[in-house]
Amino acid sequence: MRVSLNWLKEFLDIETGVDGLAEKMTMLGLEIESVERPGAEINKVVVGQIVSIEPHPKADKLVVCKTDVGQPQPVQIVCGAKNVRVGDRIPTALDGATLPGAVGIGCRKMRGVESCGMMCSAHELGLGEDHSGLMILEPNAPIGQDIVSHLGLDDAILEVEVTPNRGDWACMIGVARELAALFETPIRVPEVHIAEGAQRAARLSSVTIEAPELCPRYIGRLLSGVQVGPSPSWLCQRLLAAGQRPINNIVDVTNFVLLETGHPLHAFDYDKLSENRIVVRCAKQNETLETLDGQVRKLDSSMLVIADAERPVALAGIMGGHDSEVGESTSRVFLESAYFEPVSIRRTARALGMQTEASVRFQRGADPEMALFAINRAAGLVQELAGAEVAAGLLDEYPNPPAPVEVELRYGRSDDVLGTCVAPREQRGILERLGFVTVRSSDAGCVVRVPSWRHDVSREADLIEEVARLHGYDKIGVTLPTVRQIDEILAPEEAKLRALRRFLVGQGLTEVFNWTFDSAEAVRKCGLPEAYLDMVELQNPISEQNAAMRSTLIPGLLATASRNLRHGNLDLAAFEIGPVYGPAKNDQELPDQYTRLAIALSGRKGTHHWGRAPEPYDFYDLKGYAESALGFFGVYVQFDAADFGPFQSGHCGRASWAGQPLGYLGMVGKEVLRAFETEQAIFLLEFDLDPLLAHRPPPPEFQTVPAYPASLRDMAVVVDASVPAGELEATARQVGGALLKRVEIFDVYSGKQIPEGKKSVAMNLFFQADDRTLKDEETLASWDTILKHLQERYGAQLR
Amino acid sequence: MQDRLKRMQAEGIAEIAQAPDTRALDDIRVALLGRKGALTEILRGLGTAPPDQRPAIGKAANAVKKALEEAIDARKTVLETQVARREARETAVDMSLPGRRPMRGHMHLVPQVAEEILGIFLELGFQAATGPDVETEYYNFDSLNTPPDHPARDLHDTFFVKPGVVLRSHTSPVQMRVMEKHAPPVAVVVPGRVYRNDYDASHSPMFYQIEGLLVDKGVSFADLKGTLLLFIHRFFGPDTEMRFRPHFFPFTEPSAEVDISCSVCKGEGCRLCKNTGWLEILGCGMVHPVVFGYAGYDCETYTGYAFGLGIDRIAMLRHAIDNIHHLYENDLRFLEQF
Repeated sequence: MRVSLNWLKEFLDIETGVDGLAEKMTMLGLEIESVERPGAEINKVVVGQIVSIEPHPKADKLVVCKTDVGQPQPVQIVCGAKNVRVGDRIPTALDGATLPGAVGIGCRKMRGVESCGMMCSAHELGLGEDHSGLMILEPNAPIGQDIVSHLGLDDAILEVEVTPNRGDWACMIGVARELAALFETPIRVPEVHIAEGAQRAARLSSVTIEAPELCPRYIGRLLSGVQVGPSPSWLCQRLLAAGQRPINNIVDVTNFVLLETGHPLHAFDYDKLSENRIVVRCAKQNETLETLDGQVRKLDSSMLVIADAERPVALAGIMGGHDSEVGESTSRVFLESAYFEPVSIRRTARALGMQTEASVRFQRGADPEMALFAINRAAGLVQELAGAEVAAGLLDEYPNPPAPVEVELRYGRSDDVLGTCVAPREQRGILERLGFVTVRSSDAGCVVRVPSWRHDVSREADLIEEVARLHGYDKIGVTLPTVRQIDEILAPEEAKLRALRRFLVGQGLTEVFNWTFDSAEAVRKCGLPEAYLDMVELQNPISEQNAAMRSTLIPGLLATASRNLRHGNLDLAAFEIGPVYGPAKNDQELPDQYTRLAIALSGRKGTHHWGRAPEPYDFYDLKGYAESALGFFGVYVQFDAADFGPFQSGHCGRASWAGQPLGYLGMVGKEVLRAFETEQAIFLLEFDLDPLLAHRPPPPEFQTVPAYPASLRDMAVVVDASVPAGELEATARQVGGALLKRVEIFDVYSGKQIPEGKKSVAMNLFFQADDRTLKDEETLASWDTILKHLQERYGAQLR
Repeated sequence: MQDRLKRMQAEGIAEIAQAPDTRALDDIRVALLGRKGALTEILRGLGTAPPDQRPAIGKAANAVKKALEEAIDARKTVLETQVARREARETAVDMSLPGRRPMRGHMHLVPQVAEEILGIFLELGFQAATGPDVETEYYNFDSLNTPPDHPARDLHDTFFVKPGVVLRSHTSPVQMRVMEKHAPPVAVVVPGRVYRNDYDASHSPMFYQIEGLLVDKGVSFADLKGTLLLFIHRFFGPDTEMRFRPHFFPFTEPSAEVDISCSVCKGEGCRLCKNTGWLEILGCGMVHPVVFGYAGYDCETYTGYAFGLGIDRIAMLRHAIDNIHHLYENDLRFLEQF
C-alpha cells in the first residue's frame, strides 16, 4: 500500500523525518519496501499561462508561445504539443530547471527561434504515462507557483507491505492508529458533516438481508440531486499519491474513503434498482450478472450477491454490476457500506478469478464498526463535492452484532515467553494505546476487549506479540537455550547422504542439483520402460516439461549433460543424489518417495596435463565409480550383463545386491543421445539408495596382518572371446584352495598372436600362509588345479 | 722399507685426491690395494724381510692400507655427491609448470551451504529430521494454523497433486510430523526442497529451505534471538549485525523476520540492500498455541521457537549471485566455482 506522508500528517503529528519514520514503521511490522519522493527531482517548474501562440517561421509542427510565469516578462517557448491553447495553465520549466531523470532545461534555439524553457506533459513530470500533450492545470492555478507545492509533490510516498493478518493496516486511519500508539500521541479522525434533508431514507428504499451469516451488517444511505463531475484537485492528489486514477466525484469519494478508512463502499444508481430496494442474498443457480468490467458472470448458490427486487446488481464485496453503475446521467445514488464474511468473499473471488481492492479487504476482515463511519464520511463528501441532498436516516441492518472478544494477558506469562521483563504497567499501556479496552485488571494480569478492527487477536499469544512489538523487538535480550535431545535418530540416512556426497566429490565427481519436475515426454525420450511413465502429476504445473514429479534421475541428468556439452563443457563427471517419486500405492494418501544416485561421465577423464595425453571415459570408468560408490556402503554388489532402455545393447549392466536389483549402468544409446541433441558418448548409471541407506553393516573385524611374504604366480590363458573374464577369476578363487588369497586380472588382450574369436586373459595369483613362507611346490599344486578347471570349464589354453 | 711405505701413502693420497671420477678412483684402488697392487706386494713380500722387522713393517703397511682405504672412501663420497648434484641439476623441475592434480569434484552450492548451516545447528545439539516433498494439505497448512480459506494461503502459490495433496510450500510440515511422533523436548533442523508456483527472474518453482524447531520448558523469544545471533555470527562472520522485525506467519506468534547488516555496504546503503543497510534472511517466531494443539502438546507447560531460512537466497547473498536460475541450470562453469 502507498502511504502519502502529507496525508498521514493530517491524522497525527509526526516529528520524525521520513527515513526515521520508515525505520520505525518497519520495526512495528509495517515493513516499508521503498520510499518515493515524487517532487524531489523537479526543480524550477512553475504554473505558467499561455498568453500568445504564433506559428514557427521554419517548422510546421512547432509553434512559438509566450507564457506568463509570474515574472515581469512572459517567457518565449517553442512548443510541439498539439493541445496548446491560449489561456491554458501549464506546468512550465524555466531556464535552469530539472525534471525527473536528471533532464536539464535551458535556453536554446529551436530551428532558429530562441526558446527559454519547456511546457511539460504529465509524463515529463514523472506523473504517469500520459505524454500525449501538455498537462492542463486547473484554470485557477496560481500563476508562478512552484509546481511541486501546487501539485502536492513535496511529499514522500511510503510503500508499505501489509501482512495478511493486518487488514486493518491497509488504510490511512489504520496506519495512523498504529503510529499514534507508538508515538503516544492522539489521532485526528476527520469530522463528518452531513446536512440531512427532509425525506426519510426508510421511505425511499429498504434493505433485506436474507443471508445474515454471510452479511452480518448492511448500511445504506440515499443521496439525490447528485451532480457527477470531476473531483477537486485536493482529492485527485490524494488518489494519485495512492496510485489511483481519478474518475468522477462519486467514484472518487468511494475510493478516497476506502483509502482513508479501509472500508470498501459501493454506489448504485438508485433509479436503476428494481423497486428501488436492496436484497442481500445468495445467487440462484445459474443466475448471471454483468460486472463493471463488462464480463458476464455465471453465478451459483454459494455466492453472495446484492440484488434489487428482481436480479443481482452487484457481486457482494467484490464488484458492482454494470446495469446499476453510477454514470453521468445519475442523479440519485444508493450508497452501500457493508460487512461481509471473509471466507465467502474469498471463495467467490477465487471461483470467478476476480481480485479487487474491495475483495482483498473483505477477505482479510473489514471492520463492521467502521462501516458506519465510512458511509457517513462518504455521504458528507458527496454532499460537499457533488451537491447531493442526503436523505434522513440510515438503512442499517445489523441483526446480530458480534459479541466483543475478551482476552486475558498474564504479565508473567508474557515475560516468560519473551524472555524479558516488561513492567505490567507498560504491558497494559501498550494494549490500551492500541485500542484494547481493559475490562478487568489485577497485579498479575488484565482482561482486555479486542477492538473491532483486530480480527487477528483472539488469544493471549496475540497480546504477547503486541507487547513485544510496541515494547520493541530490539529491546528483548539474547540468551542461549539448553538444547535437550531425544534418544532416537530421526533421520539416520541424512548423515550418510552427506558423507556420500563428500565421498563422491572426493572421487572427482561434481554434483548437480536439478528440479524434481519432469515430463512423460522426457521419460520417453530416454527410452525408459513404461513403468517410469507412471508419474505423480501436478494439477497446476509451470509448464508441460515440468508437468509431473520425476520418476527417475536419468532424464534430468542427461539433459544437464547434454546442455553442458552443447555449451562447450566437453568433459563431464557428474552425479546427482535426490528423490524420485512414484504414485501412491493402494490406500496410501501420499506418493512414494525414493532416494536415488545417478552418475554421468562424458568426454575425457582426469585433469588435463601437459605431460600426459587425456584419455576418454569408457564403460569401465563408470563401473569403477559404481563399485567405489557401492563400496562406500560396505556391500558386495553383483554386476550382470543386461538390456535397459536408455543404454546401448552390449554396453549395459545391472547391479544387484543380495538378489535385489539396485539399478542399471551403461553407455547411453545413439538414439537417446540424438533425442538429447548430442553425439558425444555418455556413460550413465542410476541406483536405488534406499536399501543401501538402510543397511547397517557390522563394523569390520580385525584380520591378522600376514607375517610371511606372499608368493605371486601369473597365469595367462586363451579362451573364447565370449567368456566373461570375471568367471575365470571366480573359478580361480573357487578352486584355488585356502592358500590362494587374491586373484587379479591384469591383462585382457585380443589381436595379434591370438586366434580370431579368442582372447587372452592374464591373472595374478597371490598365495600366502599365516605360519610359513610357501614353497614352490605348494603354490604350483594350486596353480595346476586352477588351470585344469579353466581347461575343463572354458576350454582355456595356457598361453 | 718404512720410507717406501710412507712415500707410497703420500703419493697414493695425492693421487686419490686428484681422481676425476669413480672409475679413476677404482683404478687407483686396484693399483694400490688390488691383488697385484703395490701395497699387497709389500705385504706379500713380508716373508723375505728380517724376522725382527716383520711386525713393525706389517703394522706400518696395515696403517698405510687403512689410510688409503679411508682416503678412497672419502673421495668416493665426494665424487658421488658431485655426480648426484650434477644429475639433479640436469633433471631440475620447471617450477613454472603446473602439477598433476588429482581430479576434484565440486559439491553443488545449495547442498554445500545447507550442509554448512546444518552443521552449525547440529553442533548446538539439534538433530536432522526429514519429511516428504509431496505432502498433505493437513501438514502443509491446516495443522500449521492455516485452515482452508486463510488469506495466508495466498502467499504460497501452491502446487497441487490432487485435492488435499500438495507439493510442500515450506519445510514447516515436518515440524508437525516430528511433534506428532515425539513428546517434547524436540530440537530438530529440517533441510529440504520446497515448491511454489512462481517462476520468473527472481523465483524458482523449486528451492531449498532449512527449518529449525526447539520445544521445551521455558524456551523464550530471547532464546530464539540468541540462537539466531550465534548462527549469524558463525555463518556470516562475527561482525554481522542482526535485526528482528515483527512479521506474520500463521504458525508462530510472536513472529519475526530477521535481517542482517548488508554484506556489501556494511549498513551504509547500496543497491543490494535497497539502501536500507539490511538484508532479509529468514522468518521465525514462537510456536503458535494452535500448532501445539494439533501436536497434542500442552502449550502452558511447553514453549518453543521455529525458524525457516531459504538456502538459495543465503547462498546468493553470500556469493553475490545475481540470478537464482544459475543454481538450477547446473552449468559446469558455474558449479566449478564453488
